[in-house]
Amino acid sequence: MNNEQQATNADIDVSNFSRHLNGRNAPIWWGIIGLILIELSVVSAFTVTYLYLYMQHPQWPPNDIELPPLLIPTWSMILMLLSCVTMYLAGKSVEKSQPKGFVIYTFASVFMALLVLWIRWGQFDNFSMSWNEHVYGSLLWTISGFHFIHIVSAAIGTAAIGFFGVAGFYTKQRQIGVVVDTMYWNFVALAWLPFYFVLYYFPRF
Amino acid sequence: MKNQIPTEQAIFDHQQGSEPILDKTWLSPTGFFGWFTHVNQRKIGFRFVVTSLIFFALGGLLALLMRLQLVQPENTLMGAEFYHQIMTMHGTTMMFFFAVPAMEGLGIYLVPLMLGTRDMSFPRLNAFGYYVYLIAGITLYLALFLGMAPDTGWFSYVPLAGIEFSPGKGVSFWTTMITFIEISALTAAVELIVTILKQRAPGMTLNRMPIFVWSILVMSFMIVFAMPTVMVGSVLLALDRTFATQFFVAAGGGDPLLWQHLFWFFGHPEVYIIVVPALGIVSTIISTFCQREIFGYTAVVLSMVTIGFVSFGLWVHHMFTTGLPHLGLSFFTAASAMIAIPSGVQIFCWIATLWGSKVRLKTPMLFIMGFFAVFVIGGLTGVMAASIPFDMQAHDSYFVVAHLHYVLIGGAVLPFFAGLYYWYPKMTGKMLSERLGQWSFWLIFVGLNLTFFPMHQLGLDGMPRRVYTYLHSMGWEDINFFVTCAAFLMAFGFLLTFINTFISPHKSKSAGSNPWQADTLEWWAESPPRNYNFRHLPVVNSRTPLWQKAPIHKVTGIRADRRETLITTLLDAKAQSVCIMPTPTYWPFVLALTVGFGFLGFMFKPILFVVGFFLSFFAILGWLWPSRPWLAEKPPEEGHPIRGLQ
Ligand code: HEM
Ligand SMILES: [Cu+2]
Repeated sequence: MNNEQQATNADIDVSNFSRHLNGRNAPIWWGIIGLILIELSVVSAFTVTYLYLYMQHPQWPPNDIELPPLLIPTWSMILMLLSCVTMYLAGKSVEKSQPKGFVIYTFASVFMALLVLWIRWGQFDNFSMSWNEHVYGSLLWTISGFHFIHIVSAAIGTAAIGFFGVAGFYTKQRQIGVVVDTMYWNFVALAWLPFYFVLYYFPRF
Repeated sequence: MKNQIPTEQAIFDHQQGSEPILDKTWLSPTGFFGWFTHVNQRKIGFRFVVTSLIFFALGGLLALLMRLQLVQPENTLMGAEFYHQIMTMHGTTMMFFFAVPAMEGLGIYLVPLMLGTRDMSFPRLNAFGYYVYLIAGITLYLALFLGMAPDTGWFSYVPLAGIEFSPGKGVSFWTTMITFIEISALTAAVELIVTILKQRAPGMTLNRMPIFVWSILVMSFMIVFAMPTVMVGSVLLALDRTFATQFFVAAGGGDPLLWQHLFWFFGHPEVYIIVVPALGIVSTIISTFCQREIFGYTAVVLSMVTIGFVSFGLWVHHMFTTGLPHLGLSFFTAASAMIAIPSGVQIFCWIATLWGSKVRLKTPMLFIMGFFAVFVIGGLTGVMAASIPFDMQAHDSYFVVAHLHYVLIGGAVLPFFAGLYYWYPKMTGKMLSERLGQWSFWLIFVGLNLTFFPMHQLGLDGMPRRVYTYLHSMGWEDINFFVTCAAFLMAFGFLLTFINTFISPHKSKSAGSNPWQADTLEWWAESPPRNYNFRHLPVVNSRTPLWQKAPIHKVTGIRADRRETLITTLLDAKAQSVCIMPTPTYWPFVLALTVGFGFLGFMFKPILFVVGFFLSFFAILGWLWPSRPWLAEKPPEEGHPIRGLQ
């Protein structure tokens, strides 16, 4: 609206400005960007820590410990990326005022997250090394655990959003909650990329 | 427009008789229980400032205790263990519980006023950050009274801080509370960034933003990138201590030096996180007391941004004596010297502003003059310590103690007190006594030089830092005696300012809205400002709105019957939309309690962390629960706003 020729040498009337903030005009959108920046710093601190410790060791992992197999983490990677797509579709449904589609897509995402958690849980059982034997094991457990907790919170948050959706809370005008939840979801999913890379690929080179 | 609000029943703040309605809308609940619900930025900012001053006093008392122990050789006032506890608590208090929250608190109080807006972007988050800070501080001091305080220095080096050499609860308190309080710093940082980027008055382009706001913006970004590293570090240390992970344990393939990297990658920027807002205060006060715009606005802003960037490349200069490769070390010496360039630019801009102007030497300006002298000395000894051969000698001696106090007191405490004298009238409506202020300044200034300058000599004479006593034969006793006396002199100076803040509200004259004839918007509000900051939101068309002849135009059409404020565009601050702000609530306090429970519980029984995690989830749900009666509504038709909701 009228933003083009806004003069600053007269009063400005905003009585008919939109009160529905759904994107970059909403402070919370920027707040989530800030949260993501913080978490990005955390992710890089973990990644750099891994690489730093890796460089201190001629042999990695130590003592001919096996590397974890690739197939299963790759599946969880794919599931995480797929869940980003369903979250995107959930957002689109709100946009198009299709509350049913919204509910279906959100819970599909939550379901995939639960699947990933289930896979991860199994992996914890199969790690070839415990966390207190060697720093390699400590890294494997801590980084996986860190990401695990994040999926848990993203899943809980999104499930809550799904329930609000069932109650019909989200509309085209009022979808900022969905927008920011999706942003955070995407971050959690993508944060797995660097971890997947250092934990599973890097030591194979 | 489709989703126009039903304007019939709305009451706007430009309408006649809307003032009592504004008052009512923005009121903070009164009474003891009401206190826990406040969310207005000025209330929270004020609490931050007051609380940080209390921690400053506590940290100062601990310093005096240390000096009493060192007043004579082989003193038996206290043992090594207690000395190391209060030394660690002093450093931790001053850095984490005074300096950073004090600067954030000033930012939280002042930034929205300087931007011409009604509140910060996330008022409830603000309140949450405060309670986290309060809980962390109280817990740490409880640990001290229970004799369980950390005793491994403010940077908790491993292996000393590992479970093997520090088996007690002390270091666990440290790691837990450090992680916890960083949450507070990070929430404040995000909050400040978003407010600064999205809630400037229409017309306040980035290029017209007050320098203090710029400095807070730079500080906040530095917090966002630096604090997570120390959080990761202290979490890893906590894991090492609780679950026997091997991150810092050499025998398990870990690396103690990793701790130093993680800590100092945060620790060096930390110093600038404290100093950059102080630089903003200096520029603001100089400009007001010379009654002219700061010389070289762009240069000053750019050099603050540069300092922010460069400070992330200096951390290794704290590790010169750890046996890292020599080429790398030289790089960090060069980088450390480079920080002098932007600092120099600022100093020249200040000199140019002062040049030929009639400076009013009131107390705030005196503290700024003191800052010049003290900070320059601290900078000089810093350049000395950045050269490796010298550092090899002076490392871990009292020379470093002298240097760091010159930098921190010069670079943070003096400007902060200048700011206190400068903005006190805005916060309380009363001037601080000028006579007490001048006395206070001179005692502090003389006292601190007498305290810390001789410490250089002690260091060169070989006295190591962090010793709880020393022998007769070392020849350090005269200087130590002198230093202790001087420390009490300085403490008395600070005491005078504390007294001043207590008696001035009763004695001194009303300040009026703009006692210093300053140029920025906070002086356009009443003193103290109303709960909604400004009667009308302003429109700005210059860098110095209050020095303009033309009247300040206003924004109309903001509603008075609910908390509304204006959102503007990122770069050129055009009015963009209107945001409805949240109301007072208990939830931030509850969430702080549940998160605190999780962190503290972790120290005693790790599973309690999980309990805290889920309790927190419910608190967040309660917090975000839409308070409007939307559940009773039918899902709306496409494109229709829901009646009565928005
Ligand atoms: C009020 C006047 C102050 C006095 C008399 C004082 C005195 C001291 C003393 C005696 C030590 C211990 C030296 C040692 O045993 O190694 C110390 C350490 C320290 N002080 Fe202060 N100090 C004061 C203010 C400050 C301020 C304002 C700050 C920061 C903003 C600060 C930050 C530190 C730090 C970081 C340490 C190092 C602690 C450690 O070694 O772990 N001090 N101070
Ligand atoms: Cu440094």
